[in-house]
Amino acid sequence: MKGQFHRHTDLRLTELAGEGVVLHLGERRYFTVNETGLTILNALAEPRTFDELVAAVLKEFEVEPELASRTTTDFLQQCIDANVVRVVDA
Amino acid sequence: MTAPPQPSYVLTCGDAALTAALRRWLDGSRLVWPGTLQLDVEVVDTLAPHTDSREAFPQADLLIQAGPPDGTVRIRWDAPQAEAVVHATEPRATIRMTREASAQLESAERGFLLVTLLFMLRRIGWYHIHCAAMIDPRGRGWLFVGHSLSGKSTTSALLAGQGWSVSTDDIAFLSDDGVTVGVEGFWSPIALREGGRTLLGTTGGIEFPRRAKAGFRPEELGGHWIARVTPEIILFPSIGAATSVSPIGPRAAIKRLIESSLWVLFETVHAQEHLDLLARVATQSRAFEATLGPDLFLDPNLFQDLVQ
Repeated sequence: MKGQFHRHTDLRLTELAGEGVVLHLGERRYFTVNETGLTILNALAEPRTFDELVAAVLKEFEVEPELASRTTTDFLQQCIDANVVRVVDA
Repeated sequence: MTAPPQPSYVLTCGDAALTAALRRWLDGSRLVWPGTLQLDVEVVDTLAPHTDSREAFPQADLLIQAGPPDGTVRIRWDAPQAEAVVHATEPRATIRMTREASAQLESAERGFLLVTLLFMLRRIGWYHIHCAAMIDPRGRGWLFVGHSLSGKSTTSALLAGQGWSVSTDDIAFLSDDGVTVGVEGFWSPIALREGGRTLLGTTGGIEFPRRAKAGFRPEELGGHWIARVTPEIILFPSIGAATSVSPIGPRAAIKRLIESSLWVLFETVHAQEHLDLLARVATQSRAFEATLGPDLFLDPNLFQDLVQ
């Protein structure tokens, strides 16, 4: 995936029992994410490239690079669809 | 006899009767928040139309606007008319009430003024949560978190009769004492509908005709009042055929806590701190879905047996 990924500024998140609890203040809704999602959203405290996000996942979990890449792609796509993350062309 | 604790505030108001009534309400809350609130109140004949174009969020009979560009919170009560503007970051508000509104203080205290107060308290790190809070005879802190008609007040009255200490049956604020997250109860009589009074076999109390309820101090029921509860056990109650409890994990618990502390979603000011406090409450406590049945009135200590 190309470009820089930005976390929505209306997002607030906290860790709870290894998972993430996320508030979307702009849309007044909340949801939970698993620990991989929490790792990615935490990494997005500042804008990141896809490769940087995959590196964050690999640093946190003992998984093959291919799985980390696929998981990151899937999660980012869900976040983009849900207006949680936006992508800015580099 | 020790005087109840006093909240700290500066109140300016040109109407002597309204000043006295507001002081009674604020002092009667027995909330001792950190810092000092500033309330500037004016009684007016009519409210001038405002030009605030922010999205209005309806809450009961109020309309609330918050967020950019200036970060203030505007709370409007349209029938009768009153309006409050809470400062973006500081615990102060400018309140304008029509004479008609100032004559309906009982309603205002449960709605317009309470919502204004809770937005002011957000600015000093106290976060509203809709719950009952108690301490059992073994010293454990309990929260009963749920919507109206979920049995919070009746259960509070029942357990007060078993010697529990009651902080509140309805209105509370999360606060951090530096070690644990506690709940500060807004003092008011435990308010029972006729059905609750019948189940408990209680009579008397202070009549609240507009709410079709009667209020009882915990001491009248055999219990005690306590300012702060540190939650160890959280119940999410509903009414059913027989009393039971079922443990739930932190993930399910925080969803229910957010639903009862909804202002966490409403404005960006302190939203992160508010969310963090909810997560800490969910982590420091054991949480249960609870069904409250008529058998509870035969054995009020059933909870303590079910939640070991």
